[in-house]
Amino acid sequence: MGMRKRTLRNLFCRTSWAVAALGASLAFGSGIASAAESVLTMHIEEQTSWVSNFNPFDLAGRRQSTMDFIYEPLVIFNANDGGKPVWRLATSYKFSDDLMSITYDLRPGVKWSDGQPLTPADVKYTLDLMLKNPAVDIVGVGQTVASVEAPSPTQVKINLKAVNSQFPESLADLAVVPEHIWKDVADPVAFKNDKPVGSGPMTEVRRFTPQIYEQCRNPNYWDAASLHVDCLRLPQISGNDQMLALLPEGTVDWIGSFLPQIDKTFVALDPKHNGYWQPPAETVAYEMNFKSTNTGNLEAFKDLNFRHAFSLAMDRKSMVDIAGFGYPVVNLHASGLPPRFESWRDKAAEGDKDAFMGFDTDKANKILDDAGYKKGADGFRTTPSGKPITFPIIVPNGWTDWIDAVQIAVEGLRAVGINASVATPEYEQWRKQLLDGSFDVVMNSRADSATPFQGYYQSLSTAYAGKLTVAAARYSNPKLDALFDQYLKSSSDGDHKKIFNDIQLVIADEFPVVPVFNGPTWYQYSSKRFTGWVTDKDPVMNPENHDNNRMRLVHLLRLKPVQ
Amino acid sequence: MRVSSRRLGVYAVALAFAIVVNFILPRLMPGSPVDAMIAQLGPRATPAAVEAIKARFGEIDQPIIMQFLDYLKGLATFDLGVSVKYYPQTVVQVLSRATLWTLFLVVTAIIFSLCVGVVLGAIAAWRRGGRFDTIVSPFAVILFSIPPVIIALTTLFAFAVSLRWFPVGYAYDPNLDPGFNFTFFGSVFMHAILPVLTLSPFLVGEFQTTMRSSMIVVLGEDYVTMGRAKGLSNLAVMFGYGARNALLPVLTNLALMLGAVFGGSIVTEIVFNYPGLGLTLFTASVARDYPVIQGQLLLMTLATLGANFLVDIIYGLVDPRLREAGR
Repeated sequence: MGMRKRTLRNLFCRTSWAVAALGASLAFGSGIASAAESVLTMHIEEQTSWVSNFNPFDLAGRRQSTMDFIYEPLVIFNANDGGKPVWRLATSYKFSDDLMSITYDLRPGVKWSDGQPLTPADVKYTLDLMLKNPAVDIVGVGQTVASVEAPSPTQVKINLKAVNSQFPESLADLAVVPEHIWKDVADPVAFKNDKPVGSGPMTEVRRFTPQIYEQCRNPNYWDAASLHVDCLRLPQISGNDQMLALLPEGTVDWIGSFLPQIDKTFVALDPKHNGYWQPPAETVAYEMNFKSTNTGNLEAFKDLNFRHAFSLAMDRKSMVDIAGFGYPVVNLHASGLPPRFESWRDKAAEGDKDAFMGFDTDKANKILDDAGYKKGADGFRTTPSGKPITFPIIVPNGWTDWIDAVQIAVEGLRAVGINASVATPEYEQWRKQLLDGSFDVVMNSRADSATPFQGYYQSLSTAYAGKLTVAAARYSNPKLDALFDQYLKSSSDGDHKKIFNDIQLVIADEFPVVPVFNGPTWYQYSSKRFTGWVTDKDPVMNPENHDNNRMRLVHLLRLKPVQ
Repeated sequence: MRVSSRRLGVYAVALAFAIVVNFILPRLMPGSPVDAMIAQLGPRATPAAVEAIKARFGEIDQPIIMQFLDYLKGLATFDLGVSVKYYPQTVVQVLSRATLWTLFLVVTAIIFSLCVGVVLGAIAAWRRGGRFDTIVSPFAVILFSIPPVIIALTTLFAFAVSLRWFPVGYAYDPNLDPGFNFTFFGSVFMHAILPVLTLSPFLVGEFQTTMRSSMIVVLGEDYVTMGRAKGLSNLAVMFGYGARNALLPVLTNLALMLGAVFGGSIVTEIVFNYPGLGLTLFTASVARDYPVIQGQLLLMTLATLGANFLVDIIYGLVDPRLREAGR
């Protein structure tokens, strides 16, 4: 008995010593990489476990560090700089005179990470792969591209199916893959691409575990002179809560998270180094269904007076401050133009045109009274022809900030006698209703690209009405369609600006949707280990590190380790 | 084996029922994996991307009968399909990785709680009505009525976020590579402490209560009195004669509670970002990853049926009265 006790005590002593040693080793854990290397720790996506998947054609499954960092785009358009091109694998492109084909000049001397040259044949191979296989056609070349040629050792010529001056922008998410690797891939859809061969700055996956992976410098990167980061370190982080718990450790350099009370939860931890800039992104708007099967609602929705009154009942400031934690920015322009496209704004489409963008229930009541919307015994208004108006505003279940915003909208609408309510279907159901038209009013956002055109075209042209979730309103206006067509058929920047001015004017006058605010982008950084961060004082590009922002590549190239 | 054919029949029916429910349950949830995937893409879900994803996972839109036949065929060949969320990993790959961590967590918690609970329960019964009993026994009731989520959040905040004694997540330090070395196992140990402590109070409370009541019955038996009469020390009578024989109901209870333990581990793993079955099930549910949800529910069903089966056998072996009744 005594013997056993002693062994036990010995064991206990040894274990506690080991635990102490371990604690010490853990404290130095993050310093394992050698001092000479500059390692940038990033949080770009939320996952419960890393799965090795660097297949650029697998949008849902690929690690978000695949695009840009492993596969560099041909050209990036900077939305914060009037949509100007930043040339990467390509050095220029030119449309043919009839706009039916486009020729890209490729940068000479670019090599794949395995040392083989990157040629027009690779670009042609990639596009052909997507044309042959719709399951990897994530940029939609099947709808736009007729055929691809490689007319010279440095050029790629893409023949289009229809005139489309927007084509280069639509190709922004194209990942060019090396033909010499991919031609042997049996199933490009299921290919995991564990050992990627790419053209971007960070192609070497040095370490991969379910909890962390490291992606390091491409030994043959063409722009190596601009690259000062040796490795990206990507710890697995499952969600906001986990991120909040990790923040005090101060180990993450580039973050793309929603952090509640960010000044307290993040900046205050290290005010000297921790910073954020969450510039406004897409415009969020209330959209009424112009093909609603409810005759009373339809009569109201089609009346400009009703839409104006609807807008005046929106307490946008509360939506931003209360529902959105103060992160979004109120949109006070009838044209709905997002702030990031400030350089596209037409002065003629603001000022007077924005008269219905404030929060003014008296004015809304007056407009409705004057237009013949009489209040019934229940306090709710009917249409001028006497039909009831009553509708739920649909918003996906679980999107708490949006649901709160809709609640605020409903309060405002009820204050002016409009019988509105909130409905929260599951996201999938919500999406289906937008597509099949079985809704009345929805709170919705539209995706922008490098210029504002795409967002307006896809959400408000007759061509897309009811076909995309962003075009749920089913709006149709021949005047606007003609302008869209003109824009697509023109390839001059000057003409594009002029036509887009007219588009803004039409929208500000016709008021097809009710813009309320612009959601934030997610960007936080620590300047403890790296400098060169994009800030609000130097707002040159979208700073987010998520997969939807190509400019993150340029952002990475700005970063330098602190000496 | 000492298990009757009628009993085996019950297991077979339970298994068949579980297989069918397993198939139906995920499909009753609104939304499909493809929709969930599109939803997760956010701004990247361009019309072309949506089409590409639909083309990729087209097989999910098959008629339901075909899906069921495929599912049965897969079960028969131990092919549980490919995960949608962790594509292109297979369900077996995803689950085997997660099972390892959950088993480690649950088994450690059970062993720890068994030791603590049984000893506390035995002492409480030995000194029934004494000071120890009046303090510890009501405390046990309180222990097993605190929801694990509260304990998890409290311990996480206190010991990991505020005091920083323990890591806030992961199964081991991400900077380490898994391997048979002391540093790695030490890290696994450090990372398991808070999750295990979170899972344990409930178990300790449960074991202690069962042990106490079972022990009280045993202490009234003649052989205990005889042990005392032989002049054996208190400790020897308490553990050698009493606790040993009082353990059986505790073990039964353990089998019945396995489900609850796994339930608690779901919350614990989510809070501590611990890569086990709970976190996997949670992620899979959110992503409508039918293959993983099915695989995991099946695994849990098999585990529960297996545990019950084992208890049946053990009982048959240990308790002759039951053996007779079973015939």
